[in-house]
Parts: sequence; C-alpha cells; structure tokens
Amino acid sequence: MVEENLLVNPFGWGVILLLITASLVSYRVLFGPTLADRIVGLNTVTTKIVVIIALLSVLLEAYFLLDIAIVLLMVNAVSGLILAKYMEVRR
Amino acid sequence: MIEYFFLALGLLVMVFSTLGILRFPDVYTRLHATTKCDTGGAMSIMIALAIYVDASFFIKLKFLILAFLIALINPMVSHAVARGAYKYGIKPKVVVDMYAWDNP
Repeated sequence: MVEENLLVNPFGWGVILLLITASLVSYRVLFGPTLADRIVGLNTVTTKIVVIIALLSVLLEAYFLLDIAIVLLMVNAVSGLILAKYMEVRR
Repeated sequence: MIEYFFLALGLLVMVFSTLGILRFPDVYTRLHATTKCDTGGAMSIMIALAIYVDASFFIKLKFLILAFLIALINPMVSHAVARGAYKYGIKPKVVVDMYAWDNP
C-alpha cells in the first residue's frame, strides 16, 4: 500500500512544490534587511514544514508524524511571540 | 475528487505567498501577504488531507485539530510581530500612517 515513488500521487507533487517554495523563502531569512523580515520568513518556513510533515504522514502511512507536526506548530507560536516581545522591549 | 481541488487551491495560495514575501517592499506588506495566504493555504491542504486519508476517525480529527490550531496561532504571531516591529522603530513606506495619529 505504501508507494515507493513520491511523484505518482498529487500529494507527492505538493511535497516537492512546498520544498521549493520553502527554499525560496529562506532567501528572506538569510538576506532580510531588518530583524522583523527574518522573523516573518522563519514563521513562513515553519508553517510550510508543518504542512510537509502532515503530507508525508499520509504518503508514508506513518500517522505518528502528526503529533510531531502539532508540537512543531506550538513551538513556532511560542518562539514567534518571544521574538516579537524582544523587539517590543528592546527599543 | 473534491480533495484534489482543495489541494490545488492550497498549493496555489502557498506559491502566491512566496511571491509576496519575495517581492513586496516593506515588512508590513510582507506580513499582509504571508499571514493571509499561509493560513488559508495550510488550512485548505489540511482539509484536503482529512478528506483523502483512509484511516480511522481520530486521525481525521487530528488533521482538523491541526487546521484549527493554524487558524488560531498564525494571525496571533503576525499581530505580535507587526506591533513589535512598529515599537522597534521600523517606519512603514506608506503615505498615510494612521497608527501614528493615535500613538504620537
């Protein structure tokens, strides 16, 4: 039932497309002019990686990866809030 | 068949979010592009997976919980980042700045 090749399924094409877009967004993380640009880029990359993990859990039929996706989303929320509070206080 | 429609919609929205974060001139316009597009795209892909997956009810429920958490968390972080960026001293490249009227 588990398919060996990713590209026989439209959801596998989704994994490839999301990897390409995440590597494009990482340009903004590396060369962003200000600190806020880097935070926005990191938030976007992490959301894309959560979606990639959810797609892979269906494609590989390994459903324990869903718990990892939920925990990574919560860690993303806490880290974003802490960085935003750092920008607000530091002046 | 409906799940492939949701998947295509989500991937299209994700590609436009990437285009927005690469091409917009300012941090606030980048936030405007990425929070709406990313939230909508991720929720759409999660709904597509919840329809598509051939498993028990609780695994479908986990996908819906993931979509709900994305809808809850992503706008909150964007709001906090925009507020922190304004307090940090980054001025928006716009003609009318209404936030500066209320907070001189």
